Amino acid sequence: MVRFKNRYVLCEVLSDDPRCRQCIEDRAVGLAVRDAIARVHGDYGLACCSISFTVKYLNAYTGTVLLRCRKDSYRLLCSALPFVRHLESRAQRYPCALNTLHVGGTIRTCQKFLIEYNRRQLLILLQNCTNEEERQCIQKSLLSCSLTEEQSQSGDEDDDGTE
Amino acid sequence: RRELPDGGARPNAAQFKQLVVSALRELHGEVGAALPVDVLTYEEKTLSAILRVISSGFVKLWSALTLLGFYQNRRCAFRVLQTSPFLLALAGNSRELVL
Repeated sequence: MVRFKNRYVLCEVLSDDPRCRQCIEDRAVGLAVRDAIARVHGDYGLACCSISFTVKYLNAYTGTVLLRCRKDSYRLLCSALPFVRHLESRAQRYPCALNTLHVGGTIRTCQKFLIEYNRRQLLILLQNCTNEEERQCIQKSLLSCSLTEEQSQSGDEDDDGTE
Repeated sequence: RRELPDGGARPNAAQFKQLVVSALRELHGEVGAALPVDVLTYEEKTLSAILRVISSGFVKLWSALTLLGFYQNRRCAFRVLQTSPFLLALAGNSRELVL
């Protein structure tokens, strides 16, 4: 009853510039999001959302970011995410956009969603890839991911899926 | 009605509205600045005005006006004299009505 409830927002960093991948860091993304909240919602919004705001997980290769905030102010955060336009790090600015994938109450639900989402993305990539080598590569990774998913949370689902 | 005490130059109606919108922008960001606020009347002599705002933005407006401290680098304060959902109620205080 007296627990602090958090919301975890899963987003994806989209960018045209290939060099942007290198500068995706937790501090840079955190600062960019806080700056956007300050612009859109002012001092009150910034203070409200920064109570328990952190970047929990970051994957520079896929551009996946997991943010945490309080349950009372997650709507302010989600409405300010489209206003993030640049990522700054090491005195370089790269234009980018944040796409919200999922909002969950725990890290575990977000992880489950991310696993399913990545699986679907691999299938889409398989359809879109033009090179034969890429095709074989992706097919191999698809087969390997469906057979060897042995994490305890998603073990049962995979057994049902691959049987 | 709002009243603000001041030292020197007095704002005119447009500057008053600009002041209100900038207070909203500081506290509530672009969302606050986009709140539809109307200045219905403004008296430059007494520096008092009647503002109209949508009821969902009432709390934001009042909090932004309370926390506004400076106008052109001089201290100022907003004092809210009366609030009401009806314009006619601002004309008089019904408690002091003598029948």
